[in-house]
Amino acid sequence: MKIYSLIFALLLIFGGCADNSSYVKVVDSSIDRDIDIEDIKERVREDGLKEVQVMGENDTDEYMLLRYRVVWQDKDGFDVPSISSTWRDFPVHKNSNFTINIIAPNKEAQKYQLFINRQGE
Amino acid sequence: MKRSQIAAVVMAAAITLMTGCADKTERIDINNDEGAQVMGLDYRDFNQAAADAVQSMLKSGALDKKSGDRYVLAISRITNDTMQHIDTDQLIKKIRIELLRSGKVVVTTAVGMDGAEDKMAKEARKLREDAEFNQRTVQEEGQLIAPDMSLSGKIIQRNVKMDDGKQQVEYYFMLSLTEIKTGLAWWEGETVIGKRGSGKSVSW
Repeated sequence: MKIYSLIFALLLIFGGCADNSSYVKVVDSSIDRDIDIEDIKERVREDGLKEVQVMGENDTDEYMLLRYRVVWQDKDGFDVPSISSTWRDFPVHKNSNFTINIIAPNKEAQKYQLFINRQGE
Repeated sequence: MKRSQIAAVVMAAAITLMTGCADKTERIDINNDEGAQVMGLDYRDFNQAAADAVQSMLKSGALDKKSGDRYVLAISRITNDTMQHIDTDQLIKKIRIELLRSGKVVVTTAVGMDGAEDKMAKEARKLREDAEFNQRTVQEEGQLIAPDMSLSGKIIQRNVKMDDGKQQVEYYFMLSLTEIKTGLAWWEGETVIGKRGSGKSVSW
């Protein structure tokens, strides 16, 4: 019993220290129930650039033209300027999965905030 | 009321009416521009095309030099095959900036299709024969770096008349990245932007 308590405590401690400055957020409240973010995959490629893949699903019977933008930051939390910080359109078909695949602008860009919005909002 | 006074009053009223009706000039919020689309190309289209091209280039691995060094990139001919008077630098500059930031590429301004983009690299070498200049500060021969890669492309416009009288305009941004040593295109990309509007709209 003691060992389980210890593991649980360690998980809490390390979980609390985890880097949560990278995230994906649906910023438009009118679609946040319709769009599910199901998985986020990250990897550092051989060339040192971080690659992020966001997988989601459109739960509605409606095709949507959404847009996303990504703000990249270095390990110290300073913004890394990038063309991907401006909105880019992407299609989301009805009752279908969608994928957003992005690559960091350079090796310094390690943290990211990806925002999803509806066109024209 | 004299005739001249009446004329002055009418003129003042007309000026007030005209200025009152004039649309105010607004500055565009380029970070979140919700303005109506235009049939021609605007900065939003160039942003989209440039972002697509850079992401595609980085994903392809075509810019990954085995030694970890940077490739030297020359900008070749980017043909504007649209009906609009656009400077292709509106697209290419954004791509150059982002590629430079990536740390994978450095662009040479000493070589270009219509001569060097920055002629000073060559011009400053003419100082070799000028006794007024300290020759130790003049660049030695053989210092310029030749390009490894070349970026070329074309922007195409296609106008289609719809059955309902509307007009569809398709823009194709086509780019190629060629290794100069072998002449092989290591990366090619295309972004299509389509617009549909009134048949009376003019897209140039």
